[in-house]
Amino acid sequence: MRETLGRADRASMQLLMGAGLALLSYVFVGVLLFTVVASLIVIGLGVLPETVLLLRRMAGSKRRQVGRWSGTEIREAYTPLTGTLVERVRKAVKDPGTYRDLRWLFVHFVYGLALLYVALPLWVIGALVDGVWCGLLGRKAVVLPLIGRLAELDTRWSTALLKPSPEAERNAELAQRVEELTQTRAGAVAAHGAELRRIERDLHDGTQARLVALSMRMGLARRVYDTDPEAVRKLLADAQDQAEEALAELRHVVRGIHPPILTDRGLVGAVRALAASSGLDVSVRDDGVADGPRAPAAVEAAAYFVVAEALTNAAKHSGARRATVELARGAAGLRLLVRDEGQGGADESGGSGLLGMRRRVAALDGTMEVVSPAGGPTEIGVELPCVW
Amino acid sequence: MRVVIAEDNALLREGMVLLLTSVGHEVAAVAATGPEVLPALLEHRPDVAVLDVRMPPGFRDEGLRAALAAREQIPDLPVLVLSQYVEETYAAELLSGGAGGVGYLLKDRVGRVDEFLDALERVAAGGTALDPEVVTELLTRRADDPLDTLTPREREVLHLMAEGRDNTTIATTLVVSDRAVSKHIGNVFLKLGLPQSDSGHRRVLAVLAYLNKG
Repeated sequence: MRETLGRADRASMQLLMGAGLALLSYVFVGVLLFTVVASLIVIGLGVLPETVLLLRRMAGSKRRQVGRWSGTEIREAYTPLTGTLVERVRKAVKDPGTYRDLRWLFVHFVYGLALLYVALPLWVIGALVDGVWCGLLGRKAVVLPLIGRLAELDTRWSTALLKPSPEAERNAELAQRVEELTQTRAGAVAAHGAELRRIERDLHDGTQARLVALSMRMGLARRVYDTDPEAVRKLLADAQDQAEEALAELRHVVRGIHPPILTDRGLVGAVRALAASSGLDVSVRDDGVADGPRAPAAVEAAAYFVVAEALTNAAKHSGARRATVELARGAAGLRLLVRDEGQGGADESGGSGLLGMRRRVAALDGTMEVVSPAGGPTEIGVELPCVW
Repeated sequence: MRVVIAEDNALLREGMVLLLTSVGHEVAAVAATGPEVLPALLEHRPDVAVLDVRMPPGFRDEGLRAALAAREQIPDLPVLVLSQYVEETYAAELLSGGAGGVGYLLKDRVGRVDEFLDALERVAAGGTALDPEVVTELLTRRADDPLDTLTPREREVLHLMAEGRDNTTIATTLVVSDRAVSKHIGNVFLKLGLPQSDSGHRRVLAVLAYLNKG
């Protein structure tokens, strides 16, 4: 009984707020009329976007009301009112959401009040019937639950009127996708820029400096060539050391840009090479990546670095003896999975290279999932979208 | 010695020809592209072939593939493969046949002329020359195994052995006596649980097989 009362109570509150909103929309109709009339003689155009925003806020507050009652939020999908005044007016007028909101406003004005009017007498009847009759006979309440039904009715009607049209919903999804892409693209550009600066620094501070030092030693050797053969010998030996170090550095830089074995052997061959030199017993499974066209170089490079990093982690930290790498050609791109039978508990904050992997994957609009419960196993799944 | 050179970069090719002829070797043929390599090797059957890994038209691993293909037809053909970078996998592929006369070095090593010529002669004589960088990779990648029980000196000896050096060279490099080297080698084989084998290529292969096991 108490439960029935509580629910009826909440339903009444819901209906009361609905009616309140309906009354508020009565006031809003005044604002609306003013805007429309004023717009006819142009000056109202200035307030038209504000009026539409007000309308959206009212609809939004109804959406939240319904969401609180039913537990499922009604989606919102409006064209954002941005830009110059003219653009904002045009967007406000062209947005189908504006007309759906208006339709709701008028219809809700009727049912919002009507439902409350029906609910009020139900309380009186309910108090008599449920409270006295059912209370005395110990039966289940029959009238008070009806108030809950009224609130459900309100939910159903409001949902039907306020949910965005399929077209608007698709637009909203597209807008969200564009937003995501803009972000990942900005990330990719930033990552690319950072990469270029790193390469420039490596070449400048390392290789170039060594070549300057090398050239200097050669110059010195020429100066003392006739007078001090012993010094020449020493200078030449130093120069050769410098040249070798410059070469080693260049190799390192090149490997960081694009591992040469990717060019030689393709992704699967390169991953097999990684597996062979990982120190673990690694089995590599390929589902169609080696056959047919190759993935774009950036995708292959990212996949290669992810596998390299994951296997290094597995060998260093997991205590595993065995691991598996799976590569698969999907319709939307490249999928890869690295799994080790180690102790698990991989921590992203622990500087284990997971963050770097994630960044690298995100820069290509890919996704990465790490599952590593304490006690293992550790699984790293990556999807890199690409056109084959 | 008669040598066939495969190298697409004209500068390096000319340099190599100059280097080899100046010390008295005969350059039988030079190949500048991948497809030329195998026919040249089969035609001239040199004492040793010096091959670049990456060659036109594909600029992938044409030189390496040509080396493997040539050794299928002429099993004892000594090949010294040079590359701008080293990959453990390539070394494993070259050594997988089990026959001797294999070298795999970074191109940088050519600069150390004496050492390079020494490696070339070793390979021509059926020995092995493996780049120190490959050996380092092989030695450092594992954590928990008998390698840890080796003393630093034994590790050095193992490293040089894996590169394909003979006892005398190892002794000179480490500035110890031949007998000391033999003792270290005996200890290394004992600790790694490998059967004692005579010096030369078989020994290197045993060591490399052990390191490659993973």
